[in-house]
Amino acid sequence: MTSPTPTPFGADAPEGALPPSRPVRAIGEYVFAGVALLVGVGTIAGAGAIRVPPGSASVLGPRAFPYAVGVLLVLAAAAVLVGLLRGRRGRPDDGEDVDPDAPTDWVTVALLVAVFLSQLLLIDLAGWPVAVAVVFGGGAIILGAKRRWAALAIGLALGLVTQFVFGTWLGLSLPAGPALNWIPIFHG
Amino acid sequence: MDSLTALLEGFTTALQPQYLLTALFGVFIGTAVGVLPGIGPAMTVALLLPLTYTLDPTGALILFAGIYYGGMYGGSTTSILLNTPGESASIVTALEGNRMAKAGRGAAALATAAIGSFVAGTVATVLLTFLAPGIARLAVQLGPADYFALIVVAFLTVGALLGSSVPRGLVSLGLGLVLGLVGTEVLSGQQRYTFGIPSLADGIDVVLIAVGLFAVGETLYVASRLRHGSVRVIPVDRGWRSWMTRDDLRRSWKPWLRGTAIGFPIGTIPAGGADVATFLSYAAERRLAKGEARAEFGRGAIEGVAGPESANNAAAAGVLVPLLTLGLPTTATAAIIISAFQSYGIRPGPLLFENQSGLVWALIASLYIGNVLLIVLNLPLVGIWVKVLRIPRPYLYGGILAFAGLGAYALHFNVVDTLTLMAVGLVGFLMRRYGYPVAPMVVGGILGPMAEEQLRKSMAISQGDLLYLVHSPFAIVAYGTLAVIVVAGVWLKRRRARLESSPVLVPTGATAVVDAPVASGASGADRAGDRAETRE
Repeated sequence: MTSPTPTPFGADAPEGALPPSRPVRAIGEYVFAGVALLVGVGTIAGAGAIRVPPGSASVLGPRAFPYAVGVLLVLAAAAVLVGLLRGRRGRPDDGEDVDPDAPTDWVTVALLVAVFLSQLLLIDLAGWPVAVAVVFGGGAIILGAKRRWAALAIGLALGLVTQFVFGTWLGLSLPAGPALNWIPIFHG
Repeated sequence: MDSLTALLEGFTTALQPQYLLTALFGVFIGTAVGVLPGIGPAMTVALLLPLTYTLDPTGALILFAGIYYGGMYGGSTTSILLNTPGESASIVTALEGNRMAKAGRGAAALATAAIGSFVAGTVATVLLTFLAPGIARLAVQLGPADYFALIVVAFLTVGALLGSSVPRGLVSLGLGLVLGLVGTEVLSGQQRYTFGIPSLADGIDVVLIAVGLFAVGETLYVASRLRHGSVRVIPVDRGWRSWMTRDDLRRSWKPWLRGTAIGFPIGTIPAGGADVATFLSYAAERRLAKGEARAEFGRGAIEGVAGPESANNAAAAGVLVPLLTLGLPTTATAAIIISAFQSYGIRPGPLLFENQSGLVWALIASLYIGNVLLIVLNLPLVGIWVKVLRIPRPYLYGGILAFAGLGAYALHFNVVDTLTLMAVGLVGFLMRRYGYPVAPMVVGGILGPMAEEQLRKSMAISQGDLLYLVHSPFAIVAYGTLAVIVVAGVWLKRRRARLESSPVLVPTGATAVVDAPVASGASGADRAGDRAETRE
């Protein structure tokens, strides 16, 4: 399953700019559809483990619908896999900012995920404004912002503005963090 | 007459200064965010959801109406002025509008889009005003089996018609349904798929699914293949008074009305929303064009902007009919709106017009107001929108991530939601990359629990007899319509693929994707595979 099946449509004939990345994408497609299939199997298996309360009056218990969902997912994912074997590949999304000829840059994706997940620690420890500064500034720098200090400064400004608008003005309880908690408008 | 009185009452609410300001703010911010490239109406609504968390229900819904219409409108500005293909709902506008802009007629394209949106939005809102109460009265008599039939119709049309292939749409739908299963089951109180994690017991909020798939997933996907270099925006002449010539107007008004007539009915049925409507309108205008206009198609025909743009907005209003009267979301955007309703404990559906009549009519009145505000604001403010389009992409996507984080954290003030958001976002990234549509997943996430509830109610009534699901004429008609819609939809997709692949006169940046099968590029190869697939 590691090499793409040749297709009658020439759908993945190695033409154009990036022949090396084509087979790689095929593997990814098989993996994604395979994982979807496994999620379906897991849903069916998990449905059997749902406890049905004894003496339950309802005709259709809490298991029936999960079974149906699992079967749908398994069938659909299997259909995608069969299609892939026959060379029916998915077409990646278009977008205004997407370069159709660019290969996937996994490093950028991984860095963005890491920067975003910094919120898990930063929101509670350092407060909302700092967390936003890191996500915005870090994200912008990873995506190629030219002036790094500007990215971080804008991020901090955005953090303070959202803290003020959503926290102080609209009343959402965003933690201001130890650096700002002493300022009355951010407190509470 | 009944609805007229109620509508007038709605206006007295919606015209109060604070609600008028809310509507103005919603329209403005909705357009501004909708103009941002890569942000469609669904993402606009999802990202701006935290704004409504602390407002009263009426204010929140009025804000939402503004954001919804503004976001729809903003997309057309993007696709006309930006040198690259845009979001799906307005991609046919991009074909002609973008070329008009390149030929120095960008102002006329923007004007016909704006006025067409206004005409279509207003006519469609009038239709909504008079149709919705009647449909709601009929809908009260529907039983659980009928609702289940409607939801199945919505599932399969959204799953099968959105995106390039039927199995991929159904996988997307299935993943959404699985996410919808997570949590405590209402009838028996049993936990399902929570793996003993306490914060999963409440289920996965649809906001997380929507923001994760649209905002985070889209950002990761764009980041993985970012177009570097400076942003190319087509310049527009100043002086908006002379935007449309008499001739432009003469050529535009019929497409406006035809687009409305095509868009509204398609919006009301679950058939993939605005995407289908804009395409049908484009095909109709292209076929009806005569003489000079016919030769202009493919090089910037004003009919090709006026029609699809009107159809787009009429469909957006049409989507509100099943949403308000039946509680059925038929697009991803509608699914997010319904989750906003639910966060206020409001359940859209046939009883909404009775129980929350003041609220509903204020919402409908604010749709009229929003339309007027849009046309007043948008033409003069085009200079601002152009500046918005030029925002450097690193800052734009950094900002989207920051607001997505806010939306997740503000749900329960708990970072577990942030983690869930990123997990859903990664799935969304992979789905985009491998050609799966994301909208069915959002619809599945919100409609799944409703489907189960109606199914179990039906089974309780019938004592387990499955035939009960098709006992009523309504359900039979619904399933019959489903078959027709799916067959017609697959036929339409083939036609669309053929039309998109037919030779276009002037190859430009915006049409490169459409022309790609002719050229030998990576996207061309993909497009060829895609067409082969729809032909099965």
